[in-house]
Amino acid sequence: MSKLLLIDDEKAIVRVLSISLKSDGYDVVTAYGGEEGLDVFRRESPDIVLTDIKMPGVDGIEVLKRIKDLDPDTEVIIVTGHGDMHLAIEALQLGASDFINKPVGDEVLAITLKRAEERLLIRQKLREYTENLENMVRIATEEVRRKSEFQDKLITSSNDGIVATDEKGEVIIFNPGAEKIFGYFRREVIRKMNIYDLYPPELAGEFQQGLKQGKIVKSTDWKEIMITVKDGKSLPTRFSGALLYEKNMVVGSVGFFRDLREVKHLQQELIKAERLAAIGQTVTGLAHYIKNILSGLKGGSYVVNVGLDKNDIDKLKAGWAMVERNVGRVSELVLDLLTYSRERGPELRNCFPNEIADDVCELMEARASQDEIEIIKELAPSIGEVNMGADAAHRVLLNLVSNAVDACISDLSIDKEWQVYVKTGLEGDDILKFEVIDNGCGMSEEIRKNLFTSFFSTKGGEGTGLGLLVTHKLVEEHGGTIDITSQLGKGTAFIIRLPYSKAAH
Amino acid sequence: MGKRVLIVDDDPDIITFVVTVLEENGYTPLIAKNGEDGIAKAVEEKPDLIILDLLMPKQSGIKIYRELKGDESLKKIPVVVLSGIARRTFLRSHEALTEFGDQPVPEPEAYIEKPVEPEELAKTIKRLIIE
Repeated sequence: MSKLLLIDDEKAIVRVLSISLKSDGYDVVTAYGGEEGLDVFRRESPDIVLTDIKMPGVDGIEVLKRIKDLDPDTEVIIVTGHGDMHLAIEALQLGASDFINKPVGDEVLAITLKRAEERLLIRQKLREYTENLENMVRIATEEVRRKSEFQDKLITSSNDGIVATDEKGEVIIFNPGAEKIFGYFRREVIRKMNIYDLYPPELAGEFQQGLKQGKIVKSTDWKEIMITVKDGKSLPTRFSGALLYEKNMVVGSVGFFRDLREVKHLQQELIKAERLAAIGQTVTGLAHYIKNILSGLKGGSYVVNVGLDKNDIDKLKAGWAMVERNVGRVSELVLDLLTYSRERGPELRNCFPNEIADDVCELMEARASQDEIEIIKELAPSIGEVNMGADAAHRVLLNLVSNAVDACISDLSIDKEWQVYVKTGLEGDDILKFEVIDNGCGMSEEIRKNLFTSFFSTKGGEGTGLGLLVTHKLVEEHGGTIDITSQLGKGTAFIIRLPYSKAAH
Repeated sequence: MGKRVLIVDDDPDIITFVVTVLEENGYTPLIAKNGEDGIAKAVEEKPDLIILDLLMPKQSGIKIYRELKGDESLKKIPVVVLSGIARRTFLRSHEALTEFGDQPVPEPEAYIEKPVEPEELAKTIKRLIIE
């Protein structure tokens, strides 16, 4: 129950009322005049004040004014006599909550007080609500601020470049990651550049289109794009972008850029490392091959010495032939090594491709016939003189026919008629096609995969592993292609396509 | 006539070299340019020694070796393996073949890894033929 202050200069009334109110359960304090009433009010801070209006000294109106000054929330009820209506109105205007006429009836008083208490309660609740609301607003504001700060930090600390635009394509977010990648400062970009200044033209067009039409576009998968940065250089990046929506309306776009320079660098390092490993392999393979040559040279010089001692011309000739053959192998090896290690552009000249094929077949004929291998030429008569990498074609063809003959020699099949087809042909008016097809031992998938990747030989000490590498390199340098089909035990087909142009005169 | 030595090798250089070493040391060389020919000549001529290369086209020396050592009339002929393949690799390949169910074969009487010095070859042949 509330605390209630009774003020009246008629002591009898105060006494009667206070007894009655106390019995109703109120905590009642009393005063017998205006001045005293204000003292008690300050001391006791009652919730409700019931004051007579006409009192000597400080009257009810004055008490009302002063109490409202001290605590505007206090319920002040004025007790008026007959004909004090104008005072009652004045009191209401000054903030009194209610008034009662004298003589104060119990029932009227009870109702009036009840209403006052209800008002107090409502005000109390309202205050709590308000406080609560303010609190909640404060918490929510804090939360929003924290979240936005957190997102800011996310964007700021991202290593990826993040570029966001508004719905017009104007840049509104440009994080430090983007500064690093693009080379622009934030202040040079924000609200000063649009999507076309940063994105590659095609991509910018796509996004601008999306922004304009407001269509729902799915975010793009990561893809590699080249961007142009501040100093005009091109930079490889991985990019993913999306349009931003709010209630199905396009409100902007965002793009994420990842710098690929480091990755590219690592890739190059890896290739270099692989090359070194390959060189290690080659050195082993080469050492073996060179050991064989050396052995041949030593053997040759031994035979030559014997011939000299004995004055035996036949021995001398045989020994000298050994020496010469092995010197030939050394020069072949050196040529292969140089071809493989040196970067060269294509060397073009006029030539007759069919003559090249003829020459290669003639060179291989002796070795092939020794092992009963037939070389069959199918040269397209329509091929005349052209301009192309003639020396490369010669070398490539010689390597392939030599391999084809080897494949036949290494074939363990019995009663096979070994054949090597050498074909030439034209494709369109700019591609020359050489085909070398054998029905020799063929190769496994494993070997096929390794053909061009490393110095790799299946011929023991007889091969350097350089032949196909050189072949591959020459064909690539001349902008050509190599296609291989092979079946273990059945044979292998190599198709070389080399570009050519009309013979120059 | 000296003792007859059969050389089985596809490399004409090696043949020229070995033939010269044999002639210098008083042996009569017999030549087979591939494995098939080698077996035929061995059966036909019954040489006193066989010098065998391992990496040859058509029929590998490993297979020839097993044939020589598996044949009652040939297995007593001493064999010198002359090869670019390491001895270890050669022996392991025979172990593997034996594991797969082939008859086990004895180790060759001599194994020379290329490159070979003429004196070494001559000494080896002399040792084996005196036995």
